[in-house]
Amino acid sequence: MIDPDAIDNLKKIVGKDRCFDSAEQLACYCYDAYFEEAMPDLVLFPCTRDEVSGILKICSIHKIPVTARGAGTSLCGASIPAKGGVVLCFSKMNRIVEINTKDRYAIVEPGVVNADLQKALAPFGFFYPPDPGSMAMSTIGGNVAQNAGGPRCLKYGVTVDYVLGMEVVLASGKVVRFGSRNVKDVTGYRLSSLFCGSEGTLGMVTSIILKVLPLPESVSTLLVTFDDLDNTAKAVADIIGAGILPVALELMDKTTIRTIEEKAHIGLPVDAEGTLLIEVDGVKEACEKEIKKITEKLEANGAVNIEVAKTEDERETLWHARRSVYGVFAKLSPSLYTEDIVVPAGKIPEMTRMIVDIADKYKLLVGVMAHAGDGNMHPMIPADKSNKEEWARVKKAFDEIMAAAASLNGTLSGEHGIGLAKTEYLPLVMDEDAIEFMGVIKKAVDPDGILNPGKFV
Amino acid sequence: MADSYGQNCNKCGFCLSVCPTYQAQGTEDASPRARIQLIDFFSDHKIGSSEKLKDIISKCLMCGSCANICPAGINHPERYVRMREKMIRDHGDRPEIKSLVYLLAKESRIRMAAGAARMAQKIVPHVFAEKYRLGSIALKQFPVFNKVPFRTAARKAMARKPGKKSKGVPALKYGRVAYFTGCATNYLFEDTGFAVLDILRHMGVEVIIPETQTCCGIPMLFHGGRENVKSNINTNLACLDAQGIDAVIVDCPTCGAALKNDYPALAEEFGLDQDAANRVAEKVVDISTFIMAHARPQDFPQNHETIRVTYHQPCHLRNHMPSPGSAQGLLNALQGVEYIPALDMDSCCGGGGTFFYEYPEVSRGIANKKVTNAKATGANLWVTDCPVCRINLGGYLDDSADLTVVHPARLAAQFLPDLKGRKG
Repeated sequence: MIDPDAIDNLKKIVGKDRCFDSAEQLACYCYDAYFEEAMPDLVLFPCTRDEVSGILKICSIHKIPVTARGAGTSLCGASIPAKGGVVLCFSKMNRIVEINTKDRYAIVEPGVVNADLQKALAPFGFFYPPDPGSMAMSTIGGNVAQNAGGPRCLKYGVTVDYVLGMEVVLASGKVVRFGSRNVKDVTGYRLSSLFCGSEGTLGMVTSIILKVLPLPESVSTLLVTFDDLDNTAKAVADIIGAGILPVALELMDKTTIRTIEEKAHIGLPVDAEGTLLIEVDGVKEACEKEIKKITEKLEANGAVNIEVAKTEDERETLWHARRSVYGVFAKLSPSLYTEDIVVPAGKIPEMTRMIVDIADKYKLLVGVMAHAGDGNMHPMIPADKSNKEEWARVKKAFDEIMAAAASLNGTLSGEHGIGLAKTEYLPLVMDEDAIEFMGVIKKAVDPDGILNPGKFV
Repeated sequence: MADSYGQNCNKCGFCLSVCPTYQAQGTEDASPRARIQLIDFFSDHKIGSSEKLKDIISKCLMCGSCANICPAGINHPERYVRMREKMIRDHGDRPEIKSLVYLLAKESRIRMAAGAARMAQKIVPHVFAEKYRLGSIALKQFPVFNKVPFRTAARKAMARKPGKKSKGVPALKYGRVAYFTGCATNYLFEDTGFAVLDILRHMGVEVIIPETQTCCGIPMLFHGGRENVKSNINTNLACLDAQGIDAVIVDCPTCGAALKNDYPALAEEFGLDQDAANRVAEKVVDISTFIMAHARPQDFPQNHETIRVTYHQPCHLRNHMPSPGSAQGLLNALQGVEYIPALDMDSCCGGGGTFFYEYPEVSRGIANKKVTNAKATGANLWVTDCPVCRINLGGYLDDSADLTVVHPARLAAQFLPDLKGRKG
């Protein structure tokens, strides 16, 4: 229970309109895109850094848990207020402060939606590469907190590769700034990188300086079908192994394709055992050359059909369908357990087989989808959480999938983060000292552990 | 848990990217995902019925964009309508909204109310019209009611022989269509009605305007009046399901969505004539789509200076009708129209039936953005198919704006030979 005086003081900072405390409104902030829920005591919508600082000072004095939230699209429960307290929602702190294409940076507030930044950059002929499936609604602050990725991160890298600097409010309310507006900057520790993927456990990011890139001259998207999933995975390993680096190399199995097609009706090949969505970009001639080399590898691995998206609309339709896959799986069951493991790209065929075998062993349906080019795999198991017996099997299957990824020198998350979903698996990929070291850092900036408590650190 | 409709929301958040109220308010409670969460919480007895819950569920434009984008295929509007009914049962509704539901249930009541409203418009002193607002819209910006209902006035126009004024352009022999005028055209926007009529007759189409037709019922349905809708459906099906009708023309996307999507579903629910509902639904087509499908270039010759036009796409057209791009197709096809798309051409205007009246602040925020972007195109005409969008957007255009909102049919009718300049 939060001290009533503290609540009054918190409300004073943002005013009545930017504070939610009714049961009905709080129920709208007990979830994100993960399947767990936890109720906050208060939701506050700051509009300035000073408001954030004031809120954290009060929370620090009264030891009130504070969980940051953007659009609530985290797939690992990172923005669920596991220990109650305050949800600090940044959706109203959403100004694009500056776009400077000459110096290749943009400064944004955390509540700016990824797609809105892309729209703002496009007229300048620039873009911001990280493109999570949730880019149409997720916020840059959330993308930073989760160190979000996306299909084109195969070529371009994830959020951390684009954060030049930031302004952060620590648990005490103190404001600190890291990095600069320079695309080259090796001055001291790269502290902004520490905050990428910190899931709001180290501080609240209130301003972000991002590196932006010129839009490529040309983009081509291919839809490739296989009659064997193993061959699909082998084609991926072959393409990457040959030194070809497309923008995106997405693998989807039959279950995934069929489930998407049932909703989207865009003519996806429902009989294919495996499909690849491949995109290349760059100078036109280079793209053509790359497509030729990719095609050779695909044919060598038994691709049945290779189609090139003819128009920008066709291309967008394919990507929209791909991005909606997580939501589409809700058609199959009340709950969806989805994971975010990574293995070295060469291990994709082996990992794919292991996922399918594990799901078979526990008599579960599994959809395999992967940003296969960088080894980032999203096995999805639709099930009913209220069916305890079935859910126990799901849990066991995921325990084994995690262990399998670790055994192949893989890791737990490529882009979703750890949140509530994977804390227990950390020891599989991090030794005790490394976990302890994270604790030391956490203790230094948040001694009372008020920032997003109940999560991985 | 799986809800009573077997639809699961896994909170992916795609709906946030298209929801006008979420984007205007920036808070989760204004999102489709949250409304579904609250409806589930309510049915699981995790929260009780309350005024606050009613407010959250009602503060929705019912545009259907969430259902349209939802990867899980959730029918949000259907679930909201059910929940609205429960909330209105528990907590009542504003007297003026209840009156609306009462009025729309009988054509004689609508006619009487429209007459009274016209009288009021005439006698309200100018100073009041300047000062007072209907929801978010200044009274002086509200459209003037038709002198006589369009359907009455149209009878006279219909007495003229088709093609009489269109010498030199042989009439098409398409067939017979029934024209469902909707309440807005019948009582507010006769210019749309005459334009539709002129175009169809010029194209050589035989037009029947069924006299007994009445309100499609959607406003009642959205405000807890499910039972009241039954007789409207029966009335409309009876007059539209006539032998020998090739198409049912609508000029309002909401009426179109009702006839096309809601009637078959409601007919099944109420045990009404399902076959008739299906037959009518199959024939429903909006006027722009009909023109694009059946008109020839010579039907709309260029005899004007270039008109700069922008467009607002109504949500019910985009989300419920099969050819949502037809009005834009028409703008591109008309020689002499320079169509300049607005940045947010396909985003909601904030009108939402009675939403502009019930939640003026939210509505104003949404509409102001649209107006700014439309003005930026430099167009003089702002074309939109939906009468409520027209009322709402027109409500924000003061005298200083050189921009007029019209129906696409009204624009197309200007290009008819000999009929240009007809006063609607």
